[in-house]
Amino acid sequence: MKNNMGAIKKKLNILWAVAVVTYKEWSAYRTHSMVSILVGPIYFIVQYFIWTAAYGGKTQLNGMDLTQMITYFGASTLIGYLTMDFADWNLQMLIRTGRFLTFALRPIHHRFFAFSQKVGHRVLGLVFEFIPCYIIFTLLFKVSLVPTHIGWTILSVMLAFLMNFYIHYILGMTAFWFTQSTGIRRVFDLLSGVFSGVFIPLVFFPQALQKILFFLPFPYMSYVPVMVFTGDFALAGIQMDIPVIVGIQGLAVCITILISEVVYRASMRRFNGVGA
Amino acid sequence: MGNIITVEKLTKKYSTYKRGSGFKESLKALFIRKKVPVIAVNEVSFNVKEGDIIGILGPNGAGKSTTIKMLTGTLYPTSGSIEVMGYNPTKNRKAYVHQIGAVFGQKSQLIWDIPPVDSFRMNKAIYGISDKDYDERLKQMTKLFMVEDFITRPTRVLSLGERMKCEFIMAMLHHPKVVFLDEPTIGLDVIAKHNIRDFIHEMNKLGTTFILTTHDLEDVEQLAKNVIIINKGAKVFDDSIQKLRKVLGAKKIVELTLQEDLGTLDIPGTSILERESAFNITVSVDLDQISINEFMTKLSQQCSFSDISIKEMPMETIITHIYQSRDK
Amino acid sequence: MKDKRLKYKGLRMRRYLNVYKECIKVAFASASTYRLNFILNCTIMLLGDIIFPLITVLIYGSGAGFEGWSVYEVLLIQSIFTMSTAIADMTFHGVMWVTMDMVRNGNMEMVLILPIDTMFILMARTFSFEGIGLFIGGLTVFVVAIINVSVPSILMWIQFIAYFIIGVLVMMGIALVMAAISFKWVGNSRIPEIFSNIRNFGKYPQSIFPKAIVVITSIIIPVAMIAFYPAAALLGRGNSSMFIMIIPCFLFLLFGIYLYRHMVRLYQGVGG
Repeated sequence: MKNNMGAIKKKLNILWAVAVVTYKEWSAYRTHSMVSILVGPIYFIVQYFIWTAAYGGKTQLNGMDLTQMITYFGASTLIGYLTMDFADWNLQMLIRTGRFLTFALRPIHHRFFAFSQKVGHRVLGLVFEFIPCYIIFTLLFKVSLVPTHIGWTILSVMLAFLMNFYIHYILGMTAFWFTQSTGIRRVFDLLSGVFSGVFIPLVFFPQALQKILFFLPFPYMSYVPVMVFTGDFALAGIQMDIPVIVGIQGLAVCITILISEVVYRASMRRFNGVGA
Repeated sequence: MGNIITVEKLTKKYSTYKRGSGFKESLKALFIRKKVPVIAVNEVSFNVKEGDIIGILGPNGAGKSTTIKMLTGTLYPTSGSIEVMGYNPTKNRKAYVHQIGAVFGQKSQLIWDIPPVDSFRMNKAIYGISDKDYDERLKQMTKLFMVEDFITRPTRVLSLGERMKCEFIMAMLHHPKVVFLDEPTIGLDVIAKHNIRDFIHEMNKLGTTFILTTHDLEDVEQLAKNVIIINKGAKVFDDSIQKLRKVLGAKKIVELTLQEDLGTLDIPGTSILERESAFNITVSVDLDQISINEFMTKLSQQCSFSDISIKEMPMETIITHIYQSRDK
Repeated sequence: MKDKRLKYKGLRMRRYLNVYKECIKVAFASASTYRLNFILNCTIMLLGDIIFPLITVLIYGSGAGFEGWSVYEVLLIQSIFTMSTAIADMTFHGVMWVTMDMVRNGNMEMVLILPIDTMFILMARTFSFEGIGLFIGGLTVFVVAIINVSVPSILMWIQFIAYFIIGVLVMMGIALVMAAISFKWVGNSRIPEIFSNIRNFGKYPQSIFPKAIVVITSIIIPVAMIAFYPAAALLGRGNSSMFIMIIPCFLFLLFGIYLYRHMVRLYQGVGG
């Protein structure tokens, strides 16, 4: 028991150290953050007018009213800042340049290192992107951005954070097999953009497709936490209680972690065998 | 022959911003930035005669690259004047660069995915070289470099040395009178370096003036007729290579790994420069007083060593020597 | 001497055309060396840009829509936008990426030592065939949309083509402004995102936006000219004020060119 505590403490120390270094490293690129503050609101303004016009006189479209729709895009932008992920890019870079070896030699799991990096990077996102944008949205655009169930929302965002990370990490590992994984990653980015609900709420898709989406990772990366934020979840005509969908999201994350472990082991066999 | 390049009181100043680290600092840096002035080149004047090969020597960050960028018209001086073949590089850049060539050792003009010969054709179009001139010139240079075989292979499969040769050809297709070279032999192996130097000599005999920057004394010794040494943005030496040899003396640096602790080294013309540890020492040998051969004989009599390497004098030592000779 | 200079200027045009020809050859050679990558990138670009028409279809499919605009009319705007993007990607969008890259890696000198206009050579060198798939995709949606709206007259077609070309020039202006900004904000990967978000305003009927925004999209950063005005001309919805809108477009392009040139000069003053 005591041993366990020690190991956890050590891990937390590593996480803290790596996160702090990443934070400092990226805070040098302060203009990135300043520009990022604009990216979200500009996208949001377009969405705001498109949907205001689209609703016209109608009160509901696919079970969502205009206020929920506006909140949806506001929350989607904000949660995006918190869960954004580059693990795939970093990992394939390490593999392609052969620098992955330096991690294989260190007494730390690279995935844990990458995760710690992401924590640092996203804390930066929280400070320089999320908070300023939140202020812009609430004060300037007067969008009400208070989640209905704050606890569940935080939990769901955390799960989305993990989902994004593990999925992108798996994606990065494809570089062990393909020298040029740019294409695969771009295709994935495109699919995840469409099917995670960043461009349009998933309830707008044909019913059959919505059913399939339950079994794909995409909705759990953005659509689920955003809907939990709005306090009302529905997909494929199924209305769900918030705790239920967050539970399903948790299950999806667990499955993804397992898949990531399997792929990681296969990658290591390949890495040690081929020396890729 | 007359001066082809006249540089007077060339100065380049710029300012950078200080960046803090840490959360508080980066938050502060969003609003306030601290300016730090830097003088990269400080009132440097020199002349270059037509047909010369001039070496600009200096340690990293001395202002060599800044100087050559200003000479090629790609960077504007803060003050001072440059005249090359009657042109002011700062004014009318396009007309000026038509007359010169430039090779930057760490930057490539060649297009990565296609064979060099296609990149050459691109420059043929850019410089408006006639078919006849292009064919003649290409034939002449490929023969000189012996690169006929691989200019039709994609650039990405070429070795660094082969690529460098192609960079030279690309930069000189339009028959420039003056060619600027920034660290042209950086990262190359001995044979490739030798080839490049031969090429420069040959082209120089045909009338091309070369200005090269380097931090490699060997480049200068084997190529240059005249040498300018820059340190911390200021010119500290400007004379012939013979004069430089006189100032520096013919010294070699020898690094030794000993098998036993050595008290003193008693060989004429030899002095210990540095003792990194009891078993690792660096020695300077004055070849005017003792030949390398004699030195080796005496050395093996006095101690036993497991490893030895003979090196050129490092830039820092050269600078120290020059300051000392000026003080005398 | 004066004669020589005149001759030099006369040859200049020929020389620039020659350079462009060489660049297209190189682009073709590159594309055929990495055939698989080329096809993949073509497809991804096509799929990526087809999302917007798709979303429009989904919105109209849910029973909603933009008042006064049929789904085909909106698709017409968006397909014109796609075609304009495709042309931009092929001919001048590269100037943005290559400038960002060169400023970050300090390679700008390699272009400045060439006796040719910097902006021109960077655009020419980054000529890419990858936009061709996108263009075909845009054209397909365009044809479907045009079949389902009333037949435009010859005059409308002429107007359309003129506006479309001016819209492409606006795209060029945007690319140049972005490239110019990247001199200042070195290595900032999010600048293109901002501009692509700004361009999004041009993908929809302008009537859905409030007056203040329309002033911006038609006068300050005239993205409305990229697709909305050309589509309006084809649909016979144009009015005389549209002709005046050409002026801010040219001014915007000139501003982009000026800003880019200015930043190059500034870069030479400061250095990498």
